[in-house]
Amino acid sequence: MNGKVAKEDLDSRIFDTLNIILLVICTVIIVVPLWNVIISSFSSGKALAEGGFIFWSPEFSLENYRAVFNDSSIWQAFFISVSKTTIGVVTHVFFCAMVGYGLSKKYIRGRKLYVAMGVITMFFSGGMIPTYLLIKSLGLLNSFWVYIIPALFSFYDVVILMNFFRNVPDSLEESAKIDGAGDWHIFLKIFIPLSMPAMATIALFNGVGQWNDFMTTKLYITDQSLYPLQMMLYEIIVQSQTQSMQNIGGSAVIETTTKGVQLATIVITTLPIVLIYPILQRYFISGMMLGAVKE
Amino acid sequence: MFKMNKAAGKKGVKLCAALLTAVIMITGCSGGSGGSSEGNWVSIEDRYTVDPEKPAWQLDKKEEATDLTWYVNADWWNTDFGKDIVTKKIKEDLNINIKFITGDDTKLNTFFAGGDMPDLLTVFDSNSPVVQKAATWAMPLNDLAEKYDPYFNKVAAADTLNWFQLADGKTYGYPNYSNTQADYDSGNIPAKTAFIIRKDVYEALGSPVMGTPEEFENVMKQIKEKFPTLIPFGFNSIGEGTGSLGDTLQDFIGVPLETENGEFYDRNQDEDYLTWLKTLNKVYRDGNISDDSFADDGTAFEEKVKSGKYATMLLDGTPQQGGNLQIYLSANEGKEYVAVDGPQSTKGNAATLNQSGITGWMINFISKDAKDPAKAIQIFTYLLSEEGQLLMNYGIEGETYKKNADGTVELLPAVKDLQLHNADKFKKEYRLGEFMFFGHDRHKALSADAFPEAIKQMQEWGKGKLKPHFILENISPDQGTPEARALSAINAKWNSTLVSMVRAKDDASFDNALAAYKSFLGENRWDDILKVRSEKMKQNKEKLGIQ
Repeated sequence: MNGKVAKEDLDSRIFDTLNIILLVICTVIIVVPLWNVIISSFSSGKALAEGGFIFWSPEFSLENYRAVFNDSSIWQAFFISVSKTTIGVVTHVFFCAMVGYGLSKKYIRGRKLYVAMGVITMFFSGGMIPTYLLIKSLGLLNSFWVYIIPALFSFYDVVILMNFFRNVPDSLEESAKIDGAGDWHIFLKIFIPLSMPAMATIALFNGVGQWNDFMTTKLYITDQSLYPLQMMLYEIIVQSQTQSMQNIGGSAVIETTTKGVQLATIVITTLPIVLIYPILQRYFISGMMLGAVKE
Repeated sequence: MFKMNKAAGKKGVKLCAALLTAVIMITGCSGGSGGSSEGNWVSIEDRYTVDPEKPAWQLDKKEEATDLTWYVNADWWNTDFGKDIVTKKIKEDLNINIKFITGDDTKLNTFFAGGDMPDLLTVFDSNSPVVQKAATWAMPLNDLAEKYDPYFNKVAAADTLNWFQLADGKTYGYPNYSNTQADYDSGNIPAKTAFIIRKDVYEALGSPVMGTPEEFENVMKQIKEKFPTLIPFGFNSIGEGTGSLGDTLQDFIGVPLETENGEFYDRNQDEDYLTWLKTLNKVYRDGNISDDSFADDGTAFEEKVKSGKYATMLLDGTPQQGGNLQIYLSANEGKEYVAVDGPQSTKGNAATLNQSGITGWMINFISKDAKDPAKAIQIFTYLLSEEGQLLMNYGIEGETYKKNADGTVELLPAVKDLQLHNADKFKKEYRLGEFMFFGHDRHKALSADAFPEAIKQMQEWGKGKLKPHFILENISPDQGTPEARALSAINAKWNSTLVSMVRAKDDASFDNALAAYKSFLGENRWDDILKVRSEKMKQNKEKLGIQ
């Protein structure tokens, strides 16, 4: 008897140890390159050119960040990025939720047709040039709203929300109706609060997408004051790459290298998203709990 | 998830298919109408009367400033205008405001699709359909010159205009860095390729000769022994091309440009060249070429140049690496890279180094939608004239440079100092040598300041080794043809074959890779491509007046 317990104990201990070793290895594999990127972004051009360090840079310098922040328009770009992400996420989630709510109701007429139309757009898109022409005739070229309006709707997100809404018991809706609640009331006061995990997921996906997107700018925006951070940094990177090609005079001091500027850029662009994740995380955790107690 | 009624689903699909067809037909018909107009031939009656002896920008009395948009098909182009010394002067002299727009091919396509074209356009690939079909969307420079600014013909090179002539006998685009035979003959074009070695290494080995494959192999071994921390041999980053191991090496050992009958010669299969590839393979097997060299991108390669990692290099584009070489030189005086003769043809061919050809680099167009084509051609004339060229490269006389008695040009000490020690400020305030839409090598030759010290010896070494490759320019099959697709597959295959050959474990795998490439040629319309190329070479010769 005792022997059996001891064996089980040993088994689980071996399992735990192996588990921990495996997780440590995985963590190291993920953390070391990240750490190296951060450390390298704070290295002087000379240290980077010579290379060969992993955990600690032989020569610290803020030059890479100075090169990136040198441009005064970067704050304007930051403002654009933040506003397009916040406005974009809020409107996108709200809009998709509205459509999802409607489509989750079985009594909606023509529901199947709407869904079929949506599914088709998931597989076939108009293509770049027709889309450009559409955006152009809508008067969205060189307008801030090109970041928001075309991004309002995503059928994929609608499907996720629609399925989530279907899981809300019908009786809840019925009793609310008996109490005199209208569709808006039910949607805003019952469905949205109950679906926070799904909303948070979509908000995060969409937020990361909005934050990282620069194709929209590349295609539809030529006015520099509407450039988001990503586009600005993209230009800084391409310019630092070709600097050596154009500036053939050649400066004797290496303050920054292309790689340094790139790394600083990576840190600057990734940081805000990394910081936002912990805030949204509680919704994911509560989402899992919610799933656990479901009927 | 979606339990669709089968019958309804089928109906839906049919309906959608019909809708889709309709949409495609409608968009298909309305598309591609951009630039069908005949060009915006404005009247200049009340502004000036043309004078063949005087550039029109000096005559034009247009009061209000002209706003122009200029699209440059490169994301890296600096879009500032009117802030630095060069563009400020252009702005004042011509009374214009230029708004630059940059982008890549995607953006360019949207311009054509959207139909509202910028006034001026700069693209890079002379083989692209945009350039080939310029007659549909650009204004002919000949007519513009005749109507608005005959002085243009004095500053533009006749050979270059001729080279860019389309089937209708007119020229629509004008490039920068277009070198004609006369430019080559003048000796003003410096070589841009060199086999370079670190001076300290060269001296420690007693200035060895490495012209034959055996000598080369041996020297690499010695370098490995005496300088174990260095990589004995390096070359330009390979990326999707061949780095400097393709055409560059072929030019270096003087592989012929054409067959005896004046037809296309497959330089990749030249015996002399293959002998050298075999040698490089041996050097690789000795551990004297780093595996990293094959994987490094441009940035990684540049960083190795900057820090002097390679003992020797076959370097293509010395001016492009000039900044990096200068950084290394400044920090390691006495150990700088110097050009030496390096690998030689086993058959006694002389080197035939290539330089920017007659096609040039950036090609500039005036679109049919240009608001004021007269002003646009004036910009062309202005930038192509001596005055414009000097401004672009050296700034304003007395302010940034002075002219010496012998006709050479020298930057003033304060400007020179800024160039050396505060590159960012120099770039921002002066922007010398950067606004290069119509840049040209012969103006670089005017001044000792045009190139960094680090590459001057390399350019000196290259004197007399240049040979125009005009006949080989733009001879690829037209884009979109089956031959063009086959050729891009062949090129990709050749690039990977080249790498496998240099990295081959033994002679057998070297030969296998080559044999596989040869059979790949047979399966991919190689004969048709040869025909196209030979035909285009013939046309080139006619344009250039070579028999």
